[in-house]
Amino acid sequence: MAEGFSILDKYESPHTDAPRPAFYLDLNLNQILDKVTQTWGKQVKKMFLYFPKDAQCEQYRRGVYGDVKQEGCYDALMKFLEMTAKMEENQKQEEAVASAMQKDVWHLWAIWHYCEAFEGLRAQLQKLELSSEGMKEFLRLLGEHLDSEGYKTMRSRVDSILKELMGFRFTITYDKDRMIISEGTTQGDYEAFVEKGGDHDRIRLKSPFLVSPNLSDLENECLSVLASKRPKIFAALKETAEKYQSFGLDWCFQFIQEIPYYLSFRGFQLDMEQKGCVFCTPTVDENQETSAEELYDLALKLVAQREGRKVVSNSFAYQPGESFFVLTGPNQGGKTTFARSLGQLIFFTKMGLDVPARKANVRYYRNILTHFSVEESIETGRGKLKEELIRLAPMMEDYEENDFVVINELFTTAATYDAEIMGKKVLTHFIDQHCQGIYVTHLKELASAHPKVVSLRAMLNEERLQTFRIARSEAEESACAANQVNKYRLTYEQLKERL
Amino acid sequence: MNSFLLYENTDKLSAPAYYDAKSIIQDLGLKALFLAAAKEVIYEESGQVKRVAKEDLYIQDCMRKVMMIPLRTKEEIRYRQEILDDFLKHEDLIRALYEISSKVLAEWNKLGRGVMEKMSNSNPAAKLISDIRVIKLLSDNIVAIREMLLEKKDELHSHGLRDLLKRLQEEYSEEREAYVKKVLSDVDFYVGDGDPDEFVSLVEKPRIVLECGMEEGLKFSSLKLQEVSSVKTKFYKPGGTISKLQDMKNSRIPDSFSTVKETAIRDQTSQLEFQIVSYLIGSMASMVTDFGTFFDSLHLQSAFYLGALNLKHQMKRFNLEWCLPKVCGQDKLAFTELKEFVMCLEQRVDAVGNTCNMDHKMLLIVTGANQGGKSTFLRSIGIAQVMMQSGLMVTAEHFESGIFPDLFTHFTRREDSEMNSGRLDEELNRMNQIIENLGERSLILLNESFATTTEKEGSVIAYDIIKALNEIGVKILTVTHLLSFAQKEYQESQANPASDIEFLSAERKQGGVRTFKMIQHAPELTSFGLDLYESIVEKKESM
Repeated sequence: MAEGFSILDKYESPHTDAPRPAFYLDLNLNQILDKVTQTWGKQVKKMFLYFPKDAQCEQYRRGVYGDVKQEGCYDALMKFLEMTAKMEENQKQEEAVASAMQKDVWHLWAIWHYCEAFEGLRAQLQKLELSSEGMKEFLRLLGEHLDSEGYKTMRSRVDSILKELMGFRFTITYDKDRMIISEGTTQGDYEAFVEKGGDHDRIRLKSPFLVSPNLSDLENECLSVLASKRPKIFAALKETAEKYQSFGLDWCFQFIQEIPYYLSFRGFQLDMEQKGCVFCTPTVDENQETSAEELYDLALKLVAQREGRKVVSNSFAYQPGESFFVLTGPNQGGKTTFARSLGQLIFFTKMGLDVPARKANVRYYRNILTHFSVEESIETGRGKLKEELIRLAPMMEDYEENDFVVINELFTTAATYDAEIMGKKVLTHFIDQHCQGIYVTHLKELASAHPKVVSLRAMLNEERLQTFRIARSEAEESACAANQVNKYRLTYEQLKERL
Repeated sequence: MNSFLLYENTDKLSAPAYYDAKSIIQDLGLKALFLAAAKEVIYEESGQVKRVAKEDLYIQDCMRKVMMIPLRTKEEIRYRQEILDDFLKHEDLIRALYEISSKVLAEWNKLGRGVMEKMSNSNPAAKLISDIRVIKLLSDNIVAIREMLLEKKDELHSHGLRDLLKRLQEEYSEEREAYVKKVLSDVDFYVGDGDPDEFVSLVEKPRIVLECGMEEGLKFSSLKLQEVSSVKTKFYKPGGTISKLQDMKNSRIPDSFSTVKETAIRDQTSQLEFQIVSYLIGSMASMVTDFGTFFDSLHLQSAFYLGALNLKHQMKRFNLEWCLPKVCGQDKLAFTELKEFVMCLEQRVDAVGNTCNMDHKMLLIVTGANQGGKSTFLRSIGIAQVMMQSGLMVTAEHFESGIFPDLFTHFTRREDSEMNSGRLDEELNRMNQIIENLGERSLILLNESFATTTEKEGSVIAYDIIKALNEIGVKILTVTHLLSFAQKEYQESQANPASDIEFLSAERKQGGVRTFKMIQHAPELTSFGLDLYESIVEKKESM
């Protein structure tokens, strides 16, 4: 059991190098996750590419994340990773150097940092009231490991050897073209003389040996003289390094790999919260419909922050019996943004993390399906329609139920008559599959395509300007460009006034 | 470390220069003076002048720079005069200071001053050796200067030189000197000046004792230097018999290994030597920055006084009396036997001296015969004023004047005084520049200004400008042919008992003989140009 422990997954985890799901780009998740993992690297980013196996696994992560958010826990884990980074650095140093003696010492340092990391983490976690299954189990298993006799012996042997080596002082006398090595210190103190007579802000004596991590020939020669004088300690070094050539437990190393999943997002969330963004832990009550208050598009928020703009947030709730929102309204009115934010809500909930909203309840969905029209596509007319349909086909062949579906502007280039029919078919298909979702369209007829469809509209204010508010309302065709002209005060009268 | 020989509290020549130094140099002919200051007068044993040395361009340049920045207070002038007085009494001292500072800077340049910093990456060892030599150069010469001043301590009276000695004793104390000498001798092995070509010669070998520990990866660290010294040993050819025997003997030293057998170890050993020597030289690095600038400023400052000394010898050469001028209020100008120094230098003759005492006068109007010495007279005052304001002596038996940091010259040069509006425009423009840049203590020397238009117009212009300037306290000395202007001023001054205008005229004796002396005299209606014309024309006709 212990060997299979993962802080990410309750059961055997589906750690696959899965390709990036199609919805990633559509929901702009890549922008968000690039930011989340920007200081963490590719390995961490990969952990965001697949969903936990089932609802229980999602709950497992949500629990762990809840503990990570506890006061002191994030800091303890970050400190832990600093230590393990040193261990990894030691292992790299062990790889890099040529001398066997040096390899042995770096190996011992790696063990030492391993011990320091986990012992330090245990001490910190013991102070906390952990509530998640994952963290509690981790702490229990860690206790067993650190209290085992084998571990304790390893720790004390490594400690004593390193202590002795590091405390070692010896003297090199360079005279008559020879280096003479002796243990201990000698009388003379030229440094004190320099201290007294030289500049006070003088430079320090730099060791010429530190230019390379490898031992220089000079050091090697000196060390072999020292080894001949102190055979015992150098023998113990060799023996201990051999004995503990492999150290530590696999699940512990796995923990080091996996915990950044939570820490990266936590660090990101803290940063965003400091800049005034709101997050919440969603509830996952199956007896309630999916809903959110003050939901916003996190990717848009990142861009807006850079440019100093504000992002409008929206609230929504499915009512019992409602399957699809059909969203219509003016161009540039926030339709796509709203659809994306819904997708992001489902995504982060499924990942067991916090979501960009003030409050949210999200039912369990098996998967997320998205279809966005590719505006940059060179194809037009029939070509574009063809391309859309090719992407749509596999989504509809998948007869799994209970997905969350986000569709954005299908069939824009088809004849309206055709488009209506096709749109209705698509909606009906997903509703029949017990899916829920949102369908953004310019065709108001789709709002009445099915009894389980609700009409939403991107609202304008009294001056016909975009508000980016989304509300339940009668469907409306896309408005013309007048509001944009208005916004820039470019009508005939306005221009007369201005000129 | 500061030398402070020009100012009591700065080594920088950052005080403002005369507004239009270029015109002052041109109008007063100061180029010849700078040049004379740059030439040493060399005497025969008998005391006769043997020859004049070739000019030292650095001194020439220095005189131009320093003399064009006027001193601003009596104390500043006094400070320089005192130092000058010391140097004039101890000529060897100023010569030595200039020589030492020139030598130090030249040798330092040879050692790659400025260039070495760029080299430090490509050849750090060469840079280090150069650093060692620079420190030795500085140390030796600072000591030389310190000891030289110390020897003359009781004979020096100026604050400047006495304080310089005090600072040298403080900032380069005997303890510091001892430290520098000890370290330099201990790292002597690194410079390697030994001469291995001779049959049996001595070489310096290092002896270094180093305490070490190990850091995480067994790399040696936390080095503590216990001993460093250079040991003189006999040099034997590597690979020779004696050398081999010595190696054999040394190899019996327990717990040791050779640093010369293997290339890698030899290289790493020299790296170690390099770091240790760098560290030791680094402990004296402040010396380079502190005393580097010291020699830079000493060089410039001693050049000025050496220039002054050379000027004194030039004066002696032409039998010119000189004195250190006396600073007084701005409404006073008095001198005895003032001579135009530049003319003496150029024409290598003694000139006619003028004596004058103007109390409470803010305007001097000089009129009179052409070729009568009016311009020379005006220049002689200007030159003396500039020399006084840079702390130098002047060619007079006695000279006293106020301080005018805002000194302007506005000379019309005969050769281009054609009558056209372009010239007048240029002249008025220059006058405008002067007016825009007037300071609180301004003195303007006008030499035949506004002569580029008709006498009548010129007179009006001159009258208005001069009156306005006088009223705000600007002192004006003018030589003029504008007789309407001079007449008008004269009439006004006659009517006003408190007038602050002085009128002088070039003396003309019976029969038109010129004495080149200025005498108090009312302006006349003729400038005696006719005489001159006649004499020249007649001469011409007679040829």
